Amino acid sequence: MDRPDANWVTLLGGNDRRGGTSASRRSPPKDLVWKVPLPDAVRSSPVLRDGVLFVTCRDGCAYALDSRTGKVRWTFQAGAAIDSTPSISGNLVFFGCDDGALYAVDHTSGKLQWRAEGAGAIWTTPVVREDSVYAGSTDGSFKSVDRNSGRTRWTRQMEGRICSTAYAAERLVYFGCTDGRVYAVENASGRDAWTYRTDDGVIASPAVVDGMVLVGSEDSCFYALDAASGALRWKVETDLGIASSAAVADGRVFFGGKDGFVYARALRDGSEIWKSKSLRTITASPMAGGSIVCIQTFYGVTQAYDSQTGEELWRANLGGSLQSTPIVTDDAVYLATYPGVVYALR
Amino acid sequence: MDRRTFVFSATLGTLNLGIAGLPWRQADAPRKSLKIDVRAPEMALSPLGMPGLFPGRVVEVVHAGAIVRRRVSQPAVRAMVDAGMTALTGETAAKNAWGRLFTSADVVAIKVNPSGVPQTTTSIPLVREVVQGLNSVGVPNRHIIVYDRNSNQLEVNGYHALLPAGIRVVGLDQRWAVGGETRGGYDPAVFCEMDCFGELETRSYLAGIVSTEATKIINLPCLKEHNASGVTGCLKNLAYGSFNNVARTHVDPKTYTDPVIAVMCSVAPLRSKAVLNIMDGIRAVYHSGPFAWNPEFVWEARTLLFGTDPVAVDRIELEIVEQKRREVGAPSVWDRNPDHLGSSADMQRSFMKSPFYREPGHIKTASDLGLGRWELEHIDRRLIRMA
Repeated sequence: MDRPDANWVTLLGGNDRRGGTSASRRSPPKDLVWKVPLPDAVRSSPVLRDGVLFVTCRDGCAYALDSRTGKVRWTFQAGAAIDSTPSISGNLVFFGCDDGALYAVDHTSGKLQWRAEGAGAIWTTPVVREDSVYAGSTDGSFKSVDRNSGRTRWTRQMEGRICSTAYAAERLVYFGCTDGRVYAVENASGRDAWTYRTDDGVIASPAVVDGMVLVGSEDSCFYALDAASGALRWKVETDLGIASSAAVADGRVFFGGKDGFVYARALRDGSEIWKSKSLRTITASPMAGGSIVCIQTFYGVTQAYDSQTGEELWRANLGGSLQSTPIVTDDAVYLATYPGVVYALR
Repeated sequence: MDRRTFVFSATLGTLNLGIAGLPWRQADAPRKSLKIDVRAPEMALSPLGMPGLFPGRVVEVVHAGAIVRRRVSQPAVRAMVDAGMTALTGETAAKNAWGRLFTSADVVAIKVNPSGVPQTTTSIPLVREVVQGLNSVGVPNRHIIVYDRNSNQLEVNGYHALLPAGIRVVGLDQRWAVGGETRGGYDPAVFCEMDCFGELETRSYLAGIVSTEATKIINLPCLKEHNASGVTGCLKNLAYGSFNNVARTHVDPKTYTDPVIAVMCSVAPLRSKAVLNIMDGIRAVYHSGPFAWNPEFVWEARTLLFGTDPVAVDRIELEIVEQKRREVGAPSVWDRNPDHLGSSADMQRSFMKSPFYREPGHIKTASDLGLGRWELEHIDRRLIRMA
């Protein structure tokens, strides 16, 4: 897995959706290292590798920023606004765009390597496994393209929008859809292996751990499904819908609810470990690492909890609404905000 | 170009509509006179425009099963919308009811209320049923635009993700794509200009979606008390969600929501295109609106109100909110007792407190401007109870 602790190469840190690093920041960031105002809103999460922070923006640009100084190393102009959190694999940075295309640009130069056309805006994160890139679209299409050329391998058309970032395992790819289903399709062909129907749209992104697919639904429930068969292992009900993607660490799964709670559940059977009230509704995804769980709530407050007890450790209000997942390392906390400001804090 | 000037005289207690009329309104809070200049395209008033096909008619649908296990029930909302639309129009079939107001050639903008996350916003099930109704008369999803001022609030509510594919969800604070081009949210040619509290920017511009893109508007406000305007219903949702730079109209404890809301709704594109109002009162708010962070002030009214006349619907909303406030012992939204003024934090803790002298008189002012019926005896209120 391409993710040493200093790197954070895709949504929730890595393709394993562990959702964090081993960093353990038990006190709030106090100093601003740098901040970079971008020309438009940022709806996505930043990613980090080898001292470079990658951020996509609704001004239609992807930015590579020096993580120590915030200085722009390169900018790439896409065809429309970008809402997709980027992914890094090898020398390429991948992201979707509102123009319907998937882009692959060079990690160091920002030059376009390929562009794969599509019809609907892509808000999900492209997920890379071996030589394939997988991404769903708001027009309901889900496609696999060749990692090196962008050539389409297969495309599926679903009934609802796909805002759920896929999880690519060895044989199957998993994702949610607003038709209420969780899909498991074969990597090679795109054919259904199984589907599981929830009672409302699934916009959260699944994690796959210990043979289980873990994902929340707008129907208020959080599901653990058998990764091979789709059979229900366990489910738990919250008070409102779940848009937050789960992070997994130390036998626990963490997620936020629109009901304003952060949940910690046992992977084994879904039993409650703790449940802590946040300040506002949560749609962002938590990061879980070291001994903390960190999450953004609506209207701009970042809150950190003790991952063992759920006790709130600190909160930081940066103003403006934050819905993207922060990057927490031992050296810094990186945040991108809806008003378009990227922060590095110490 | 339509150029009108409205002058509200606090001293005389009058709202002067150009030189044509002098509608009466009550003199109350010590506010200064307010002059509002309107610039808008000249356009003939549509017979479907405010107060619409059914002036004074308000259909109130209450469904006991509208909330099931804390979730808004899609099947119940479907039944409520069908019942409400047929009762409003007098048609026997829901499809025919939608056909009275919309055709397959329409581009329909749906104004939602996303303020009040997570529970007191226009519910996704209601928007889905409205989309279904439009689809039934041939309006394709690509001709449906869901909009509000705040992209952020739209997104947190899930409108972007949870509505059917093809529908555009547009926050007016961001650029949006139209036929391969991107546009800003507001039309520089259509605005209301006034100086409320000495602010630097004195213009409020109208959404481009309203002035140019849409042929019709469906207004989906929530049934809520509002700490400045008394209630935030059809008129406020439409005016303050379609024009920008509106927060400047209140500085506690004073607010100019009356008459600004009414004047904005009278601007030709908005008045002509807003042809249907469905008020979401499945969960309703009797205090600390519009955000209602304290769930203590939210109740499950399980109600939808239907009307083409936004004034009449808002008047019924006002009655419902006032009744609820009486039941719990809260002062009226017309209250002028200075002892009841307090901070926003006070308001969140106690239904006795408000940062503003609320001004629900904007509903009457809208009636004075010809947008609908204010007097209860001229409102045809029809109640449908569903189990």
